[in-house]
Amino acid sequence: MELLLMFVKILVVVTIFMIHLLYVQYFERKVIGHMQARMGPMRVGWHGILQPVADALKLFFKEDIIPSQSDRPIFFVAPIIGVIAGVSTIAVIPLWKSFSIANLNIGILYILALSSIGSFSIILGGWASNSKYSFLGGLRSSAQVISYEISLGLSLVGVMMMAGSANLSDIVNAQANSWFLFPQLIAFFVFLVSAIAETNRVPFDLPEAETELVAGFATEYSGMRWALFFMAEYAGMFIMSSLAVVCFMGGWNGPELPLVGEYSGLLWFVLKVYGFIFFYFWIRATLPRYRYDQLMSLGWKIFIPLALLNVIVTGFLRVL
Amino acid sequence: MTASELIKKIFFLEIIKGLGLTVKHFVSPSITRQYPIEKREPVPGARGLHALVRDAETGKERCVGCGLCAAMCPSQCIHIYTSEGEEHQKIVDRYEVEVLRCVYCALCVEACPYAALVLTDHFEYSGYTREEFYYTKEMLLANWDKYMSGDKGMNYIKNFWRPRSGDFAKKVESEPAEKVEK
Repeated sequence: MELLLMFVKILVVVTIFMIHLLYVQYFERKVIGHMQARMGPMRVGWHGILQPVADALKLFFKEDIIPSQSDRPIFFVAPIIGVIAGVSTIAVIPLWKSFSIANLNIGILYILALSSIGSFSIILGGWASNSKYSFLGGLRSSAQVISYEISLGLSLVGVMMMAGSANLSDIVNAQANSWFLFPQLIAFFVFLVSAIAETNRVPFDLPEAETELVAGFATEYSGMRWALFFMAEYAGMFIMSSLAVVCFMGGWNGPELPLVGEYSGLLWFVLKVYGFIFFYFWIRATLPRYRYDQLMSLGWKIFIPLALLNVIVTGFLRVL
Repeated sequence: MTASELIKKIFFLEIIKGLGLTVKHFVSPSITRQYPIEKREPVPGARGLHALVRDAETGKERCVGCGLCAAMCPSQCIHIYTSEGEEHQKIVDRYEVEVLRCVYCALCVEACPYAALVLTDHFEYSGYTREEFYYTKEMLLANWDKYMSGDKGMNYIKNFWRPRSGDFAKKVESEPAEKVEK
């Protein structure tokens, strides 16, 4: 019985998450369109509301092209790794009061580990395509991952110290009265920028870098396989946004809203997450891409020392 | 590095400024024109599809076949074939424009001493074959009837083109005048 309940839970959450993945790109196109004084998709359905469905259908029926010299097994498996790593992370995210599919004690570590595995899909995809653009994209991704994963992890150490737990539900409960945002402002900043780099979004989209590398690691992918990469990227964005909300902005905590009653926690969580996702789009519409050496020096010379400093200061404050 | 530069760098003032700019555009209405749904009103004097002026008195083309337009045309898309008439005047047998080659410079209209040729403000024409865009004399005259009906055509010529011919200027004088821009 418990297993069945679990299964239903997973089914509901994953279905909603997939619809979210479909529509978050519509949201992105609309937001970026309006930021550039355009309108975004307008022609499919009312205000283009069916555009994601049309896109999904198109991608589904497109020809699946595999380069003849590619490393086929790796080429096949690379996008799937990304999607699995992205989607399975939602298992530990506490969506609202004690609702998460798996209430792991090492929630943060689990998320960080899976997002690192997710970047393997990019590295392997770039390697297996047997194309110089893909290869360069993959190389850049691997270098980017080692410079940002560390600061990403270190920025969350302060939060774990303040909450005294790596369980995401406990972290949210520890923020019932006040968010960790202000005591951990430096960590929040480091986390925010590292998360953008981790999800390969503008201004750190160097593995993709349309202007330099055609489409980077995704150059040789088409149709459904390309769509899987795309899904993995947007899943990663959701995960990083919800991690930021859980660790710094109080998760589901918030004043009870009228009409929704006990579900206001979920509503707060979703609102905050979408606020973050909006911020990602906003950044994308504003900033140009960083140069490669700038990105590396930012990661190694600024963010890692900053995150370490934050850990030390937080430790001192805890001791006092 | 001065103190203000340092503050600028630490607090990302430039980036925040940029974010402010994008959010300003986000809340302001978009400037997109949803083309096939909302059509743009052509600017007065727009240069679109070609037309041969049909003379109101004779009901025929005003062109005399002098060939100045064809000589002037930089893309050489005007072809004129004339023959000698009974009173030794030129008769325009064929007057053809390859619209696909035209660059819409309107030098032909400027060159014409009789204001016999004009670029209408009709700009939406498309087709599946090249042949459709080979406009013959009859088609060009039909364009005049279609897109420059009534006073519109003569006003168009009077307001935006200035033919040198005194013969033409006299004719225009007698017609109701709108504002002259040139």
